[in-house]
Amino acid sequence: MRKILLTALAALAISCAGDKTPTKEIRSEEDLAGLRISTLTGSCYDMELSERDDITLVRFNTETDIINSVAIGAVDACVYDEVVFNADVRKQLGVKIAFHGKDEYPAGFGFRKEDIELRAECDAMLEEMKADGSLDSLCTVWLSDEGVDPSTLTPPLNNGTGEPLRITTGCSIAPISFMVGDTWYGLECELMYRLGQRLNRPVEYKYYDSASYMFSLFGGMSDILTGCLFITPEREETTAFSIPYYYFKPAYFVKDPEAKGSKTGIWTKIEESFRRSLIVEQRWKYITGGLWETVKITLLSILLGSILGCGICACARSRKRGLNKFAHLYNVIVTGIPMLVLLLIMFYVVLVNTGLGATAIAVIAFSIYFAAAAGEVFSNSLASVPHSQTEASLALGFTRPQTFFTVVLPQAVRYGLPFYKRQCIELLKATSIVGYLAIQDLTRAGDIIRSRTFDALLPLLIVTVIYFLLAWLIGLGLNLAAGKNRSL
Amino acid sequence: MISVRHLSKTYRNPDGSILQVLKDVNCDIDNGEVITVIGPSGTGKSTFLRALNLLDPPTGGEIIVDGENILAKGYPAHKLRRKMGMVFQQFNLFPHMTVLENISLAPVKLLGMSRADADAQSVELLRKVGLAEKADVYPDSLSGGQKQRVAIARCLAMKPDAILFDEPTSALDPSMTGEVTSVIRQLARESGITMIIVTHEMKFAREVSTRIFFMNQGVIWEDGTPEQIFDHPVHSATKVFVQQMQKLIFDIDSQDFDFFGMSSSMGAFCVKYSIPEKREAIFQITDLMTSVLLKEHYPLHVVLSYSGLTGETALAFMMEGYTESPLQGVDVDRAALERVKEMGSQFIEEPTVKGFRIKIII
Repeated sequence: MRKILLTALAALAISCAGDKTPTKEIRSEEDLAGLRISTLTGSCYDMELSERDDITLVRFNTETDIINSVAIGAVDACVYDEVVFNADVRKQLGVKIAFHGKDEYPAGFGFRKEDIELRAECDAMLEEMKADGSLDSLCTVWLSDEGVDPSTLTPPLNNGTGEPLRITTGCSIAPISFMVGDTWYGLECELMYRLGQRLNRPVEYKYYDSASYMFSLFGGMSDILTGCLFITPEREETTAFSIPYYYFKPAYFVKDPEAKGSKTGIWTKIEESFRRSLIVEQRWKYITGGLWETVKITLLSILLGSILGCGICACARSRKRGLNKFAHLYNVIVTGIPMLVLLLIMFYVVLVNTGLGATAIAVIAFSIYFAAAAGEVFSNSLASVPHSQTEASLALGFTRPQTFFTVVLPQAVRYGLPFYKRQCIELLKATSIVGYLAIQDLTRAGDIIRSRTFDALLPLLIVTVIYFLLAWLIGLGLNLAAGKNRSL
Repeated sequence: MISVRHLSKTYRNPDGSILQVLKDVNCDIDNGEVITVIGPSGTGKSTFLRALNLLDPPTGGEIIVDGENILAKGYPAHKLRRKMGMVFQQFNLFPHMTVLENISLAPVKLLGMSRADADAQSVELLRKVGLAEKADVYPDSLSGGQKQRVAIARCLAMKPDAILFDEPTSALDPSMTGEVTSVIRQLARESGITMIIVTHEMKFAREVSTRIFFMNQGVIWEDGTPEQIFDHPVHSATKVFVQQMQKLIFDIDSQDFDFFGMSSSMGAFCVKYSIPEKREAIFQITDLMTSVLLKEHYPLHVVLSYSGLTGETALAFMMEGYTESPLQGVDVDRAALERVKEMGSQFIEEPTVKGFRIKIII
């Protein structure tokens, strides 16, 4: 959710910053001076362009955003692998190639340095394929400028019986590695499936956010790092690379002034957008799957976090000063750490090697976060009920537990419900960052669809509406639950 | 039957000092008695009441209720409280329940009464306190007096043997105290429930009680029937309190005393207690006494007093070490003395423990 907003805001801010369209045609790197260029965060292009101080660099986390920023005129140009934004994509978005970059970049697969055997196998396979020409023909098939017709894809052979070969990709884009239904296809994927068959190990693909996917290799969550990974001396210091399987060439893309919007009416366009985003390849399944993940993580975190929050509240209201201090410290620490940092620390440091799945770890992290908020809401709500109410109940002959449940709690609920509701909705929105742990939640579902369709608007809109409805449902559910909580 | 022996209660202040609210309280209260507890603020009246139902457990002494020592370790306080209700100064109705639910709650949950029976009883009790039509409203919409009547009904719903009233009218607008005191008076007449009432309403205390405890400085200072306490108090502290005595005291040591300042203070006193018509007389008598009749007899203590109960205003002049009146001598200004006697309604000369007093009732 946050990412969606940031992306939208970034685009808005850039477009507001100045809407000058370059009068001069861009033909070489010199012509880029004074322009706004977008590229992928942490990519080689990012690192190279960062050295130029005469251009404004705009970094995005997904390929979809890079090219769309050009298409909507938010930036003047973007730079990326030529083969990714092929003719089909360029035509769809009204973008053309301004010029080709001079250099070539070797792309390989990343391994842990101690994983010498696995890397040797991979190198041996690539060498053999180079020798018999199959690597070349594979690249020709996948990387043609016409793109890949999804209807011609055949499910990969992936029936190894050994230990799973865990692959991380930071890139969900055709033709490198992309999802159709639950299956990963693409040049890299095909190579990985072949490696899997060679080792008799089934291949498991995980898509991490490009900003953090490197960690998954070092954290032991995966065996091979992929995703258009260029071999650079800097990266080789930490990672062992296979021999290159391909040399990528960058291209600079600009808006094509001659590309006329198609003559179809607006309704036809929207219909087409719907069809491409939801119907084709049954993409609505990403949305429903993502919705289920988001709901599961949110509800479990609310439940666990509330139980934990009761404990924090009990500590805060205890007569023992040590417990008070603990509750205070817990709140200060947890609220002081950005949620994303807490999530990544849990995943890559604290709970690494515990055998817990990403979803379980996300639930734990969000429960810890929610407990602080809930604990505070609970203790404030209880404090809002005057002590005289307790006295009146005790004086009637109620015991302390009876007093708490019949007199104090219903009044505290009435006071605290709006605050609790708000925290629950905040939590729902905060879960949109679980994509960093390769969990396909609702936000990530939107990203995956966008990476396949290059249609920026509709998936965002759908995801936004669903989040809005979820927030409304949470509020409604809590109201109903509290409504039953009548006195007698 | 409630017996209290050597009851004490000390608080430890945050700064470590110790505050003794109850020092040594002793009393026996028979079933059906209506006791009012009166006394100055901060003398432990409410603390005493709250000790009886263990809301503020005492720190020493013992309380025996119907033969059971309620201060024994492990004594179930909630059992005691079901027989001994309490009405609070701030009503403390449950705001999240209707008036009817407020009253039915305890009988249903604690006496195992059915909801229907409890509601029928609640309506009956509401009728008794004159609020049957308010059964289904929430306490927020009631006036203070109505809230307190509901609180009394809530208390009665448990069919208690005794009810503790903790300043039941103090939080009320003066125009509303009547409806609450009437209900309590009626209960005292008809119910046979033991009642212990802490109150500042002297007229009400006098009318309603069978016995009055005058509490002062953490003990029961005086204990007696309303007539004894109000008409023939043994202790002067009791008298000062029950007659709602207000006093203004000046010590004149020499001719250099600020007489104008004293006049100004006396004038303000008269205005404060609504006796401006007596101001002239007070000024003149004071002037004649201090600067003519008694000017040789410094140091002189002048006390201007006013009783809220009787409306009596008095000026007293006290001289330490005297055994007889200094106004008997031959050199006394007769004319001045006559004028003083004319202006007062009574002229009293009497010896006291420390000296001699001349008192003029105005």
